[in-house]
Amino acid sequence: MKTLRYLLLALLIAAPALPAGAADWVLIANPKAGIGHLSQDDVTNIYLGRYRRLASGLTAEPIDLPGDSLLKARFYRQLVDKNLAEINAYWARLVFSGKTRPPRVVASEEDAVQFVARNLDALAYVDKSMVDARVSVVFSMSE
Amino acid sequence: MLAWERTSWSNGIVFRSLAAVALITMLLGGISSFVIRAQVVTRDHQAAQQRLSELLDTVESTASVATFANDDQLAREVVQGLLRSSEVLRVVIYSGEIELARAERSVDANAIQPTVLRPLFSPFKKGQVIGRIRLDANWDEISRRVAANSRNAVLVLFGQLLLVIAGTAGMVFLVVVRPIKATSDRLHRLDPANGGALEVPEGHARTEIGRLVGDINELTGRLLSTLNQERELREQQEISQRKYQNLFDHASSGIFVADKNGKLASYNPAFVKLTWLPRSATSQLHWLTDTGWDNSEKLLELLGRSADQQIACAGDFLLRGRRGDERWLHIAVLPLGDGSMQGTVTDVTERKRDEISARRLAVTDSLTGFANREGLLQAFAGLNAKESEALTVIMVDLEGFKQLNDAKGFHVGDQLLLGVAGRIREGGQAFDFLSRIGGDAFVLVVSGLSDQEALRPRVEALHEQLRDPYVVDQESIQIGVRIGIAFFPGDGVDMPQLLRGAELALNFVRESNRSAGFLAYKFFEPQLQVVVEHRRRLEDELRVAVNCGELRLAFQPIVDLNTGTLAGAEALLRWQHAERGFISPDVFIPLAERVGLIGEIGRRVLDEACRQVAEWRRDGLDIYVSVNVSVCQIPDDLSPEIILSMLDRHGLPPQAVAIEITEGVLMSDVSIAQRWIEQLRAAGLRIYLDDFGTGYSSLSYLKRFPMDTVKIDKSFIVDMNSSNSDCTLVETIITMAGSLGLNVVAEGIEEASQLALLRRLGCGYGQGYFFSRPVFADDFVAIARRINSESGNFGA
Repeated sequence: MKTLRYLLLALLIAAPALPAGAADWVLIANPKAGIGHLSQDDVTNIYLGRYRRLASGLTAEPIDLPGDSLLKARFYRQLVDKNLAEINAYWARLVFSGKTRPPRVVASEEDAVQFVARNLDALAYVDKSMVDARVSVVFSMSE
Repeated sequence: MLAWERTSWSNGIVFRSLAAVALITMLLGGISSFVIRAQVVTRDHQAAQQRLSELLDTVESTASVATFANDDQLAREVVQGLLRSSEVLRVVIYSGEIELARAERSVDANAIQPTVLRPLFSPFKKGQVIGRIRLDANWDEISRRVAANSRNAVLVLFGQLLLVIAGTAGMVFLVVVRPIKATSDRLHRLDPANGGALEVPEGHARTEIGRLVGDINELTGRLLSTLNQERELREQQEISQRKYQNLFDHASSGIFVADKNGKLASYNPAFVKLTWLPRSATSQLHWLTDTGWDNSEKLLELLGRSADQQIACAGDFLLRGRRGDERWLHIAVLPLGDGSMQGTVTDVTERKRDEISARRLAVTDSLTGFANREGLLQAFAGLNAKESEALTVIMVDLEGFKQLNDAKGFHVGDQLLLGVAGRIREGGQAFDFLSRIGGDAFVLVVSGLSDQEALRPRVEALHEQLRDPYVVDQESIQIGVRIGIAFFPGDGVDMPQLLRGAELALNFVRESNRSAGFLAYKFFEPQLQVVVEHRRRLEDELRVAVNCGELRLAFQPIVDLNTGTLAGAEALLRWQHAERGFISPDVFIPLAERVGLIGEIGRRVLDEACRQVAEWRRDGLDIYVSVNVSVCQIPDDLSPEIILSMLDRHGLPPQAVAIEITEGVLMSDVSIAQRWIEQLRAAGLRIYLDDFGTGYSSLSYLKRFPMDTVKIDKSFIVDMNSSNSDCTLVETIITMAGSLGLNVVAEGIEEASQLALLRRLGCGYGQGYFFSRPVFADDFVAIARRINSESGNFGA
């Protein structure tokens, strides 16, 4: 048990230093959309509703996973260092004014991949292993 | 006591203490209100800032979310919410440089409004500024509220102060003022003279007020006793003042107070009367010197001395009146210590006159008006052997004056002295000094003459003058005069020495006249001093002789001329000196008289004579013994009691002893001698009058004094022959004695012719060398036998 705790502590400390290396997810887009590469700020702004328009003038629609998804929690933790409760609270204030919406939620990673494959402006985060030819990786935390 | 003045309310302790409390409180309150006000303002401003800041804190995260999401709707919600606080005037949220939302109050903002400007950070990326929020405070509102707060604070403060003032005033009134006021009122009503005392207010027994009351009571007590003492003292002072005033006014002595210059400050009536002080009508100011002092400088000097040395001084001062009368005043002054002098004046005129006359009397012979001894010594006290002029001291002495005085009385003696003095004074001789230094001793002093030869005629003339008979009470008196002379400075360097020299010379004259010849005067010579010293040595030796038995009795037979038998013996004292041989009674008897040995010698003589005659009478020699008694022994040295007890002791009948006295005895104190003689005669003793015919032999003595026998002096017998005057004299004496019933003893019979003549004249008894010289007792019996055996062929 003791050994395990130390390991966890070591991981926690090492986590910010190895954000990309430790990340097992990637952000995917429709390859046809022509989105080259996104920065972490871009990803943050798009997912948290600051803007949905990319520099290329394309609109981007972020796809989110359901609230009980472990990946979702990992994604937000690694992206903006927030837990899901904080993210939900954030959205609760904005939803109230009705001007900005939170990202569309799909049921699973698979659905997310399909949605991206079908919609040109969609963006989604999925496990690395889910990436296939239908989608292209535009951002990865390892970078 | 001071009149009580009602305290005005503004002077009252209540008002004063309250006013002081109020004033101080208000002053302090004013100052602290300023401080409090400033503090309130500062605090309120800080609180407003704080509140605004906190207000911003509450909306910050929402504002940053709104800004992040550019949600102007949410931003507007935020600013509207902030504006709900009345302290907020305006709120603006910027997203980057774009104003996202704004809300503001429609009021006129006068003050410069402090603004809170706070950056808005991205909620997702630390340190990334995504906008800012600006909040302007509604300063007017804040200020209004702050003002209200501070006003309230000050009001509360003043309210508290008023309460404190009221409380303090009440306490001061209750605890301090009321008891003091009560005490003060009681003190005002208090009459300590009646023994009143202040009460201690209740509950103040141990406070300052209690102590104050105690002190006041003690003080009044002390004041009261002091006042009483002072009153008693004043009364006593008044009494003694009155006493002294009476003394002062009615004293017979003058009393004055003056300064050292004689300025009088006060004086009593007696002073004015005594000093004849003029009564000045114009001025009360008098000076001690205003009156007629003979020597006022001396008086001022006395005052000055007393003042300077601070001692009491006194002196006698002569005062001369305007009518020429005089008064002596004794003035005693005493410094009073304040520069003035107190003096007393007494009239000593009487005493002064007495003194003067006494002084004069002291040096004057009251009888003759000559100087007396003291006067003589005073007059020549300053004699100086080197400087003084030569002097001659002549001492004149009257022979037999004492006897004359005794016999005739002092009146006659005085008259005689006056006669002598008159002759000296008016005798045509100039003497430089006349004095009478003793009873009959005159001392005359001549200046300049120191030559015996030059003086001789004068002395002889004086002697002649004084020798002439004097007539006193119609009786002619002739008196011998002896003169002794001493020269200054040859015979003595001062008057006592000169007097002694002159006296020695005089004594020489006296003694030589007694022994033989006639001498009128004698100049002093040192030899006289030697004689005197010789005599003094003799005196010492006489004392020794009395004690050593050098004095012995010799007996000379007294023969009954009718029968030729031995009748008695005269005891005669002989001094057989170890070195000088025989010394005459004529020498040592006067000596013994002079040195006081005569009493003892006399008793020894009588005792020895009695013892001897008693022995002879036991041996069948029926004779008596006659003993010479000196005038000095009468009456005490040989009182009748002593004589009789001595006879008794030796078992002698009174007729066995005869007492021989000389005329001198009769001429001394008559009544004493008379009584002495009468007592002895009454006891049966016989009294012989010795040396009859010499001196003043007066028949009146024989009549007055009860004698048994007279002894005719040998000077008459020696020169007697049948045809001369002495024979007639002897015959007269014998006849007279016979007619008076007295026996007669002829002394100094040396020849048979004298014996025959005396027997023819009817003389009863005789003694002399013809019968026997005086012999000591051992030889006497043989002599007695011879006389008695010869008596057979006597009568023829």
